[in-house]
Amino acid sequence: MDFIANGFVQAFHLLFTADEETMVILVTTLRLTALSMALILALGLPMGFALGYFTFPGKRALCTVTDTLLALPTVVIGLLVYAFISRRGLLGDWELLFTVEGMAIGQVILGTPIVAAYTASAVEGLDSRLRQTLLTLGASGAKLAAVSLWEARFMILTAALTALGRIVGEVGSAMMLGGNIKWHTRTITTAITLETGKGDFALGIALGVILILISLLLNISLSFLRRRTQN
Amino acid sequence: MTPLYELHDLKQSYRKETLTLDISELSIRSDGITGLVGPNGSGKSTLLKVLSFLMPYDSGTLLYRGEPTAGRESAIRREVTYLLQNSFLLSRSVYENVAFGLKLRRTEPSEVKDRVCESLARVGLDPAEFASRQWYQLSGGEVQRAALAARLALRPRVLLLDEPTANVDEASAQLIMAAAVTEAEEHGTAVIVATHDMPWLYEMSAEIIGLYRGRVTAGAENILQGGWKPEGGHMIRSFPGGQTVYAERTEADAGRAAALDPSDVRVALSRPQQTGSVNIAAGHVVHLTLERGRNSVLVTADVGGSFLKARVPEGDPLCRELYPQREVFFIFPYSSVRWL
Ligand SMILES: Nc1ncnc2c1ncn2[C@@H]1O[C@H](COP(=O)(O)OP(=O)(O)O)[C@@H](O)[C@H]1O
Ligand SMILES: [Mg+2]
Repeated sequence: MDFIANGFVQAFHLLFTADEETMVILVTTLRLTALSMALILALGLPMGFALGYFTFPGKRALCTVTDTLLALPTVVIGLLVYAFISRRGLLGDWELLFTVEGMAIGQVILGTPIVAAYTASAVEGLDSRLRQTLLTLGASGAKLAAVSLWEARFMILTAALTALGRIVGEVGSAMMLGGNIKWHTRTITTAITLETGKGDFALGIALGVILILISLLLNISLSFLRRRTQN
Repeated sequence: MTPLYELHDLKQSYRKETLTLDISELSIRSDGITGLVGPNGSGKSTLLKVLSFLMPYDSGTLLYRGEPTAGRESAIRREVTYLLQNSFLLSRSVYENVAFGLKLRRTEPSEVKDRVCESLARVGLDPAEFASRQWYQLSGGEVQRAALAARLALRPRVLLLDEPTANVDEASAQLIMAAAVTEAEEHGTAVIVATHDMPWLYEMSAEIIGLYRGRVTAGAENILQGGWKPEGGHMIRSFPGGQTVYAERTEADAGRAAALDPSDVRVALSRPQQTGSVNIAAGHVVHLTLERGRNSVLVTADVGGSFLKARVPEGDPLCRELYPQREVFFIFPYSSVRWL
């Protein structure tokens, strides 16, 4: 078991000396996550609000589609997006394969249903008295929608954090769409996969520790939010 | 004076088969306190939601200050405000809750602050202590009072209160009712309040409207519900203890519940001679209430475990002979029992 202890020692060395390769992996992960989350929220929030707030024909079917997308395995997402953005695919000319933007497409498909489904159930679950209260205090139109979303803010933040947790920990589609290219598209999870495969544990453990810290932070925030929503 | 609301043939239903509201004619006065009474499920909340333009109705007309309302709902909602039966607060501080409607109306920030503090004080919530509290840091009675403050702050022309004291502590109930009286008497607001607090209504309200299964009845009406059986040419209902009340027979199955206007009931201190088609019910006085709006005394008596009410003019010498536990006889013709 010496190699693991050894791995830890080296891991802290990599982190505290700000090793260049490690830092590039972290920055790439950050860029990818920021881009993906921005798109996920921009798409998922309005979709979820519409699903939860309005009633329209086909709403049930749409909810079923969203729920199915929730359970889609990441390698299947990787495969589908790959087919679209590879040279021979429909979007081949855009040369997105093996770029951070290409990887973001996979993550958006992964995360958007999560945010949409959570937002929809949050908005649907809003107290029926909320609408009447807002109306009788004089709110209408866009203000009504905005305040309703704000009332659901803790639930929606929970949705965003859940999506975030899912995409930073995801490896299947990131590997297929990014190609795990050193200095370019290598992220925390794809790097861990590769280094472990090579038997080089130090970088893997260093990145693993960071990943664990991220999920710890996410979980603490989530349990705080859960307590807040129960009030 | 133009009535505040005039309803004509107004119908509303949640489900196809049953009408929740079926109001052929009703007008509501534009000053003082109007009471809305009726058993649970009779449509009080539904009527208040229609009157506050939170809920559409199926058919009929609704005039507000003599004018049709279609298309003007959101403008009218700016002067008519409704306190929900189980009112609730937005997920923000008490201050922000009370300020919410004022900010929507683009009130000056300094005035918002004044009005929030004034409204909170009027419902007995000390602004220094409560303004900064979060929505989950209040008791049920305090939630209800903060919600009322949010309505008072708007200086509405019409304030609709839906059983405002049903689920609150005694102290909150008194503060809420006192605020309603102040609103009506000092600010000239029309206050319409659904409540089961009859003594308070008799004392404070200018008018009482009764609802029963979505239909308007006189406010203090007796409802004789269930237990009616056909017998010969009449319908009969017996009270525990052996007394019976007769009513005229109606077609088919209409005879499930009947109303009896207390004004149609005569009160006697000794049993009169039985004559013709007249009911005589013996009972004991339970309480007497002065009806401020109509200068009369409402006598409630226990008749075989049911409460019946009769109305006596205030000047009637009989009033001096009435006191709790006194034996009385209520006299009313068969024809005064109306089927609902
Ligand atoms: N949202 C609703 N959907 C369906 N039926 C309702 C709804 N709200 C009230 N009702 C029905 O309408 C009738 C009147 O209810 P309500 O107006 O709440 O009476 P009250 O306030 O006098 O107790 C009741 O029979 C109730 O079951
Ligand atoms: Mg009600």
